[in-house]
Parts: sequence; structure tokens; C-alpha cells
Amino acid sequence: MTLKKNTRISFTRHLGKNFKDDYTTLQVYSRDMADLPKLVKPFIGNVPDGVIQVRTKEDMQKIYEIANETKVPITQRGGGTAGFGGSVPYKKGIVVDTKGLEYHFLVDPLELTVTINPSVVFSDLQRQLNLEGFSLCSYPSSFHSATVGGWIAHGGYGVGSIQYGGAKEQIAALEVVLPTGEIKRFTDDTELSLFVGSHGTLGTITEVALKIKFDIPLKHQGCTFDSPAELLKGLKYLAEIEPFSIWFLNPDHVALFNELFGYNLPLSYLAIISKEVSFEEEEKEFNTLFNNAIRSSGGQILDRRYINDIWDFRFKGFTLIGDSPDYLVTEVILPIETSDKFVRKLVSRFRGKIHLEGEMVSPTHYALLIYLLFEEKLSEIKKTILTLKLYNVTTRKTKAKGIPYSTGLWFSGYYSRIYGKEQYKQYLEFKRKVDPKNISNPGKVISPKIRFLPIIKLKPIVKLASKMML
Amino acid sequence: MFMSSPAEWHVDLLEIAQKCVYCGYCSLCPTFKELKWETYHPRGILEQIRMYFSEGVKESVQVEVSKSLFEAIFACTMCKACENICLVDLPLLKVWEQVRQEAFRKGRWNPLLLSLYNKVKSTHNIYGLPTEERLAWANLAGMNMSRRTKKKAPLAFFVGCQASYSGKMGNVAPSVVKILRKTKVNFTILGLDEWCCGSPVFLAGGYSAGRDFAKHNLDQLKELGVERIVTACSGCYRAFKIVYPRVLGEKWDIEVLHITELAEELIKNGKLKLKHSIKEKITFKDPCELVRHCGLVEAPREVIKQIPNVRFEELPSNKHEALCCGGGGLLKLNDSDLVNQVNSRLVSEIKYTEAEIVANGCPTCKDTILTGVKNDNLDVEVLDISELIVRAMEGEK
Repeated sequence: MTLKKNTRISFTRHLGKNFKDDYTTLQVYSRDMADLPKLVKPFIGNVPDGVIQVRTKEDMQKIYEIANETKVPITQRGGGTAGFGGSVPYKKGIVVDTKGLEYHFLVDPLELTVTINPSVVFSDLQRQLNLEGFSLCSYPSSFHSATVGGWIAHGGYGVGSIQYGGAKEQIAALEVVLPTGEIKRFTDDTELSLFVGSHGTLGTITEVALKIKFDIPLKHQGCTFDSPAELLKGLKYLAEIEPFSIWFLNPDHVALFNELFGYNLPLSYLAIISKEVSFEEEEKEFNTLFNNAIRSSGGQILDRRYINDIWDFRFKGFTLIGDSPDYLVTEVILPIETSDKFVRKLVSRFRGKIHLEGEMVSPTHYALLIYLLFEEKLSEIKKTILTLKLYNVTTRKTKAKGIPYSTGLWFSGYYSRIYGKEQYKQYLEFKRKVDPKNISNPGKVISPKIRFLPIIKLKPIVKLASKMML
Repeated sequence: MFMSSPAEWHVDLLEIAQKCVYCGYCSLCPTFKELKWETYHPRGILEQIRMYFSEGVKESVQVEVSKSLFEAIFACTMCKACENICLVDLPLLKVWEQVRQEAFRKGRWNPLLLSLYNKVKSTHNIYGLPTEERLAWANLAGMNMSRRTKKKAPLAFFVGCQASYSGKMGNVAPSVVKILRKTKVNFTILGLDEWCCGSPVFLAGGYSAGRDFAKHNLDQLKELGVERIVTACSGCYRAFKIVYPRVLGEKWDIEVLHITELAEELIKNGKLKLKHSIKEKITFKDPCELVRHCGLVEAPREVIKQIPNVRFEELPSNKHEALCCGGGGLLKLNDSDLVNQVNSRLVSEIKYTEAEIVANGCPTCKDTILTGVKNDNLDVEVLDISELIVRAMEGEK
């Protein structure tokens, strides 16, 4: 316990049993989906000094007040389901678990928005909306565990993003407790953009008004392509159909499908295309457009028997890695136009180990989820080196013009590459104004001053350490 | 007391905990949804298991972790939602049971749980009431069961502790008997020789004591030449269907039926006729032990469908996604407030359907829902499905 006695007393006095700092709780809150490699942990203060379950915005104001007084860093946590370390402390301090925030659910059927607490999990929200005839527009593939607030803070994309955009395009308004303690409601697009992908560095989201749509049924089609080049060509054509989702897998991933479920899918790049279809004519039109797109791009149409089964598997990608003794995962955003060579190189570099799942996030870009599966348990050193190698491969300045999916802890310092220099300037200006002491999730978005970080720059250190240890 | 764990039940806790991919899908856990701390999240419990069982762990760390781990493990309702959604198919229920066993070994059961365990062991029922009262339900219902008690028959009706002793469940056993009599099924009951199925003992992690219950009940059934057993209790059903085969192996060759399965069969072969309509709107709450543990989904719905002009509406969360009532996993003994919290979500769904009757197939669910609707002042009748069948069979009483 490294909190000063008086600081601890301040937190416990105001938060009572919603403050915990027992050994077990601190350990459980020291990671997100991807645990940090042991070799990296000494450089990071990932074990917090305390965890708070925040219930109200007034609680949050108080937390910031104490944090500002005592310079104790605050790290917000939603579902803790991403693997970028956004909800993992970098300088210890307090983890603020937002899952305890007061429950809200208010649909505005005229404006087509729903006002909710940010801690709601997507699948729960979707169920509630469906009961009233509405639906989310876009949602992450971690549908059953990610929280709305976490997704926004993470700057996520997901199913439906090609039609409705990513997290940014889903927000109608945000209520945020700023690190200054001020509670502010944002509706202006420019300001809202700053909070997307900011990982709580600009404040803590306490309420979200999310855009929704009417619950329109989806129709699916499937197709296969023989090479990455054909796949990317096909994606370009398919994007013109204005689909709700385009999701694709590489042949090794398809092989796992066959192995696990006894399917006989062709070992090619496989894509599932979904479109909102309200009536028969629309479905016919979709089928025609789809057939034309496949014909033009040189793909093959997939046997319809498989399509719904594969779609149902949409949120269960991790099932395929269940039997692997070890694995690594990362995600990157790539443009269709320039990524052919990159994908080919990636596949050849990690041949036999690499499994890819892609989702189109706009008509021109796709998010590529990269799994590396290993047949044996990796040593800590090997795992660390491979992790860094994988992250470097996906972020280095290639002609592919790819960008990391999010910043978080792993890719702090990459904000301007993701969102552009102009937005970064605005971000910095806003940050200076609302959090001059840098207590709101330090170490994320902006690269820490310690030169070891961001983590992916640790590669030379780890290499040196491994040489010394070996 | 020594508690053994049959080899086929034993899982390597550390190995399983290390296999967790931390996707967080198990956040649908009803306990976690209420308590919200990650230490109650199934993946958080696995993280604690990793700490507790890791090689060379310091005793002081183990003691520290055990406080939170055992608290979380007894807050579990054993609804199996986590295992059902687990992307990497971890046998989580076995893990939770084994951790409960570890808690017992360390003397860390709460006193109420220990008291239940001792009561069941000494009196063979969960209430600690005298064995002589096991047939009181028949006397209260004005039924003479002497001709049916311990007689040779191909089918046995296993009444279960709650239907035998609990006043709230007073109509369940008589309803089953009415169905069996009306359809002229040759059946028997074990009477005073019926012991608790052992389900609460197994749920608490007491394997060797539970095995004694299983052996006793099997011996009794075999003595009467029983080939099939029917029950209206989902806890007993799960014990017979899943636990007994593990404990007794091939010796347990008795076919197990829930009352809804038997009713469905009787309807199909024309012996059971549901002639009377029920004007109230009906919904059905799938008990976790029936649906997620044993995969019984369609039989209750098939039966309800046979009621003339029935107005039936599914709960928003139904079948494999049904919400837990909060009453499972012996949670009532550990945290009754939490039971009410969990239950309130289910009550909200019941309210949403605007149903006037909530049917279910589990005395624990019935008891918990009764409390929930009462707390919420909801005008809903809570019926066991056997009571509903009798109503449709005989008309409104």
C-alpha cells in the first residue's frame, strides 16, 4: 500500500465500502484482457493502490477533488475487455470502476437516441432496445462484455461500422465529469471527437446519449477469395453495396472452423456480408448486387448452408484459440487500397501461426484482428519479444498506412497517427485546460516522459535483458 | 469429516484458470451484475484461483486471497450461465464446486451452510425435520398414499424435500399424484425411505456425504424394481441426471424424467388431456438446473401449448438465456439480500410480459419468485408447472 495515510482516509471517508485496497482486489484490477508480460511489469505501475466503485457523478467529482489535492492518478475502467491497457494503471494510484454507476435507460423515439449509463454492456443494451423495437447502430465484437463507456473511451469500431461509423459516429451527447470536478454535457461534434479514444484522460464519462435505429432484420451472404489481393478487391466492390457489415477470415482461421465444427468450408479468404433488409424487393436487390460484386471481383459464392452458422459465431472468435497453449492478439486499422502487400507479408512472416479476422469499419478501411497461435507454452522472454515484434509489425511506418486500433498503454504516443495532427493539437489544448496536473489516466494517449515508453519501444531493452539472461 | 472428490469430478484448477482468455463474456453472471466488483466476476474468480493455487505461493498470500475467493465462491448461484457462454469451454461449475470443497477443507464454510450440511446428513432432509413428517403433504391434501408407498412399480415419483416439507410447496406433490392417478400410471413413492437427493450437499462441495444419499436412494428404487423416476424438482432432476451417474457409475441405470417430460409423453399417447382453458396470460421461467444444466427446454413449452386457447408469452430472457432467480447455489444461506437483488431482475421481466401466471418447474424458483413478486406488489400467481397442468386437466378450482 503506497497511498499516504491521509489520502487513504480521504477516499474511505467519502467512498466508504466503495473503496477497496485489499491485496486480492488490487491484483484483480491490475490487468485487462491482455495481461502484461512479466518482463514489462517492472517498468509499469500496473497494480493500483486502491479501487473505487463509483456510483454517482458526485462521487466522481469528489474522487477528482482528492486526486488533484494529493496528485494520485486515476485510471477509469469499464468492462476491462480490451487488450490495449487503457484501463490498466501506469503509475499505480486509483482504479475507478465505472460499473457501479447509477442505472439509466431512456429511449427518445423521435430523436432516435437512448440515454444510458456508460457502464451498460452492449448485449444488455441491445436486448433492452430490441424489446422496444429499436437496435444499436454499431457495436463491438466484444458485444457480450464491453461497456458503452469503455468502447467510446477506447475509440472502438465494430459490427455495423461500415454503415453507421465507429464509436464517434454513435454519440449524440456525453456527460463527463472533468478532472477539474466540473460536470459538463457535450453535444458539439468537435468536442465529442476529443473524448473518443481519449481513454479517460480528459475526464470520466458518466452518461451517454447514443444514436439508435429501428430494429431491421439482417440478411447475410457469403463468398470466398483465393488470395489477399482478390479479397481486398472484393471488399472494395462489396462496400459499394452499402452493407451493414462485412466480416472476413483468413484460410487458417477457416481451417479451425472446419476442425472445430466439422464443416467443409473451402480453405480460402472467407467473407460474410450482411445488409439490412425490410422487404422482399430489397432482398432481391441485395442478392443481385452481391452476385455482381462477386462476379466483378473474381470471388466465389459460398454455400448458403454455412452462412447463418458462421454469422452466429460472430462474437465468439476466441473459441477458436481455446486449445492453443499460448497466443498473442492485436488489432490494427488498414486501408483496402494499400494493404495487400502488408497482409501477404504478415501471413508469410508468421506462417501457420497467424489467424486473421477482419471487419470493414468504413467503405475504405478495415479493422484486422490478428491472432498468433502457438503449439507450445512460450517462455516469458519469448512471449515478450514476440509481443513487441507483433506490435512493431503492425505499427511501423509501412506503405500500408495502417494505424493502431487504439492507443491505450501499449500505443500511447500514437494518437496523432490515429486521429490526425490537428485533432491532437486540440486534444492537448483541452487536456492542459481540464487536467493540468495530469491525474486522469496518465501514461495513455500522450507518451509518458520516461523514454522506455510507450511499451512497444521497449524492444531494445527486452532484447538486451534476454541476452543477459541467456 | 473427510470429503473425497471422485476422480472424474476432479479438475486441475490452476490449469483451467490459466486457460481463461479473459474475454469477460461471463460478465452476465447474476452475482457480478449485482455486486459489480471484479472479484465476483467469474474471470476475476479464476484470477484469484491462479493466485491461490500457483506453485510456491506464500501462505500469507494464500490466506489473503482466500478471504475474497471464498466469499465470491459462495455468492455464486451455480446458474451455469458463465459456463454456457464461456468461449473456451471451461468446466466452470466443476471449478466452483471444487473451490467450495477447498473452503470446507480450510474450515471456511459459513455457519448456516455447515448447519444445513449437518442437518441433511443427520435427518436426510434439508429442513432438519423428522423423517416421520415426510408424508405430511399427503395427509394435508387428504390423499391416502399407503397403497402407493414402497410398492413394486416401474415408475417412482421422487417427491423431494421441498415438496414434502414446505408449506409453500404444499400443492406440488399432490398435483403430480393427481396427474399420475388420472392417467392411470402405475407408480410408487419411497415414503419415509426417501432421502434428500443430496443436491445441496453436492452443491456445497460435500461429495462423499452426497454419495451416501445417492447409494441409499438407488438401493430403495432398485428394491421396488423401478425403471423410471419422475420428479417436479429441478434440483433433484439435476442430481439424478448429472450427479448420480458420476457418483454411482453404471449402477445408476434409471431413466430420469421431469414432470413436464412425463406430461408431454402422456399427452402424446393420449392419456393426459388438458381440456380446460386457462384465461390468464401465462409465462414460463426456465429453472437454471433444467435448462442450462440438463438442457431441458421444449417439454414445458409443449405442455403449456396443449392448454386450450392458452395465452402464452416467453420472458424476454428465456430458454438457455433465462435469468437466474437468485435462489440457487445455496445463496439464500450466504446472502439473502443478494438473492432478492438478483431476483428483482427476473421480476422486472415477469412484469414486462404482463403475465398473470408465472409457471416454473422448480420449488426453489417458485419460492424465490413468490418472495420477489410479493416485495414488488405484483399481482401474479406463481405456480409449479404440475399445478398448472392439474388446473388445465380438472378446470379452475
